[in-house]
Amino acid sequence: MESELYLDLDTLIHRFDPRTKIFVMLTMFVVILYYEKPLWVFSVSILILVYGIVSRSLVNLKRLRHVLIVLGTSSLIMWAFFSSGDTKLFWFIEVEALQYSISRTLVMLSMVTAGIIFISTTRNEEFIIGMIKLGLPYRVGFAISTALRLVPTIVGNVFTIAQAQRSRGLDLDSGNLIERVRKYIPLLIPVFISTIRNTNIFGMALEAKGFGAREDRTYYLETNYKINDRIMFAILIVIFSVATYLNSTGMDQIVGLIRF
Amino acid sequence: MSEPVISIKNLSYRYRGQKERALEDISLDISQGDFLVVMGPSEAGKSTLAATINGLVPHFFRGKFEGQVDVYGKNTQDHTVAVMAEEVGMVFQDFEAQLFSTNVELEVAFGPENFAVARDEIERRIEKNLHLVGLEEYRNRPPSTLSGGQKQKLAIASVLAMQPKILVMDEPTTDLDPISKLGVFNIADQLRQRDDMTLIVVEHETEEALKARHILLLNKGKVIRYGPGHEVLRDVDLLESNGVRPLDIVKYFHQMGETDLPMAPEDGLSRFHAKGWRISDAKHAKLVANDKARAQQYGDIIIRCQGLKHSYSGKVEALRGVDLEIHRGEMIAIVGQNGSGKTTLVKHFNGLLMPTEGSIEVDGKPANEQGVFVLGKKVGYVFQNPDHQIFSETVFDEVAFSPRLRKMSDEEVKQRVEEALEAVGLSGFESKDPFSLTKSGRQRVAVASVLAAKPEVLILDEPTTGLDYAEQRSMMELVRHLNEKGSTIIFVTHHMWVVSEYAHNVVVLNDGQVILRGTTREVFSHEEMLRVAFLRPPHIVSFSNMLGKTMLTAEEAASCTEGGDV
Repeated sequence: MESELYLDLDTLIHRFDPRTKIFVMLTMFVVILYYEKPLWVFSVSILILVYGIVSRSLVNLKRLRHVLIVLGTSSLIMWAFFSSGDTKLFWFIEVEALQYSISRTLVMLSMVTAGIIFISTTRNEEFIIGMIKLGLPYRVGFAISTALRLVPTIVGNVFTIAQAQRSRGLDLDSGNLIERVRKYIPLLIPVFISTIRNTNIFGMALEAKGFGAREDRTYYLETNYKINDRIMFAILIVIFSVATYLNSTGMDQIVGLIRF
Repeated sequence: MSEPVISIKNLSYRYRGQKERALEDISLDISQGDFLVVMGPSEAGKSTLAATINGLVPHFFRGKFEGQVDVYGKNTQDHTVAVMAEEVGMVFQDFEAQLFSTNVELEVAFGPENFAVARDEIERRIEKNLHLVGLEEYRNRPPSTLSGGQKQKLAIASVLAMQPKILVMDEPTTDLDPISKLGVFNIADQLRQRDDMTLIVVEHETEEALKARHILLLNKGKVIRYGPGHEVLRDVDLLESNGVRPLDIVKYFHQMGETDLPMAPEDGLSRFHAKGWRISDAKHAKLVANDKARAQQYGDIIIRCQGLKHSYSGKVEALRGVDLEIHRGEMIAIVGQNGSGKTTLVKHFNGLLMPTEGSIEVDGKPANEQGVFVLGKKVGYVFQNPDHQIFSETVFDEVAFSPRLRKMSDEEVKQRVEEALEAVGLSGFESKDPFSLTKSGRQRVAVASVLAAKPEVLILDEPTTGLDYAEQRSMMELVRHLNEKGSTIIFVTHHMWVVSEYAHNVVVLNDGQVILRGTTREVFSHEEMLRVAFLRPPHIVSFSNMLGKTMLTAEEAASCTEGGDV
């Protein structure tokens, strides 16, 4: 099973300095959280999608579509319940609440998308270098990126273990939600044990390769801050300023919305 | 002899929480340029000893350390593992967990980066070491897309890039197919010829240890024998009594009553001719007739694949059209190189995977009409790693899991568990915690928990991996016994001697297709074809093939030998 999300392509975005990619992601995170009205949020989503198209990394969204659909649906329902407004729509849902739930769902999906684009365009090693150049200690940077890397390994483990239990007659596919969750419990112990064992070997291999032997360290991977990065940074500053200004006008707020 | 580069004095070690010492009073000097192979049964302390050389013991593991280990004058207790890494490189058995970069080049660069090596020097070292292990063409590939053998070669290259003076390999080839194994050992052989490199390898299999300059035989933490490789390897009884499988050729000549024993098949052949021996046609014909007679006793077809194809996520074709029939009562081995589709194929037999094209019938009905829940009752599947399935607090609960899921009465459950535990030789262990057992014990629990469902067919994926010789034997004796009582056995393995001694029939897979199928004797007579599939029969089989008559064990060969002064 393929569990890596990074796509080894040579696009404009892939060639960016890791710092640029980090800042694109962070700026999108901040800007999209400014707004309440769905159309305003949507305009930021479009920016993110364009960025994703240029980097040719939207294929990864397709791989995660099931997760995204579940997340999206539950968020749509939840936010509609947990907010209200003045204008009745149907049952006990108000227009404002519906608007708000749509925009919250869009915010979440767009943030996930921005994150996936980042992972699809940035090598782990680049991410580490990016964080170090931004002032983080090497060990911290390495720890963060390793945690990210472990996710696919654990997913792979869960998959194997589920197969092992299934062939012993564990039926993971029927029953209601609670029953199903309960059936997954036998999977947890082997997952924990194999993950701990794997990380143990990982730790040994890391030390045996001289990790942290010296204060200084060199990097084989070259990252250059080039003209394209400057242009991208300029664009980010413009987007950020405009977005911040628009947010301060209050035009994007949903009138009459009551949040819990 | 030159000054020792590794000097171990009165070394004892006990892991925290363990009663027994893992190492007991070991003193050892290893000189520069040596090639030392460490052998012994499970729990002998082999890996622990290897881990003392770069300081993982005592720094990474917790426990009580006594004595002293000096490597190039550095006391391992005073230096961290990372600092020792400059002198001692270490390669582990698990080739997945020791690779962590996103492409081959960066993996090799990781070590030198940690020692602040300049960038152009790193580039030079990548070039040199990828060339040494033969992975130049893969430099931009993510390690996860490499085969098992390639991953292990990459691990070696990435360690060599730090230019250590000592290379320690802890069972580097346990999970590899025979030819990939050979590939790793050829690299070791190249390194051995450089006298500035000292090589220490923990290894189970004697065939790989043939070129060792010295062999250290450990058992229960103690040194049993430390001597020149050719001397230790000729001591059949000593090896056997310490859980190490003796070399086939040595064993054969030992059985023939010789005292000066040849080791490699070629040497064996010239000795055979010099003695004026020959293989009895009549006795050999009898062996072939026995194979035929056994095949007569099989029942009807239980598994039938036709044009079976499987591709993962619509891309990689793991199986490319397999036609296969398996009869009731067969004991069949499925072999092939890492990634040839063995596990994918057997996962179709109990419905874990469904064909993307073609069909598979189990017990007369298409598998997709039955599904994994129904098929699970007929076809039991023991996974390669017992830790992937064990989760209960007691052995009883673990084995009772399947019967209980199938809603049997308490009485029935109890009876099933008793029978299953008796079959695997674990009666009396009911209330034990399965995780407190050894690997071989956990393997048995896993088998028992599958047997409790009383399947007609038993699939075992790599049942002997990670076990020592004695454990492998007892595991396979157990499986053979089940087969004699009527179970159909299908096992996937890399251990060719297990195939030659236990399988009735063999299926050889290569690149998702069956390239050979027949009795073990027939299949092992086609050495050229086997090489295509990265396989190599055991020494005794190669030896007998050179004589023109395939024989599967040293005992068979000895019983068929006549002429000369025999």
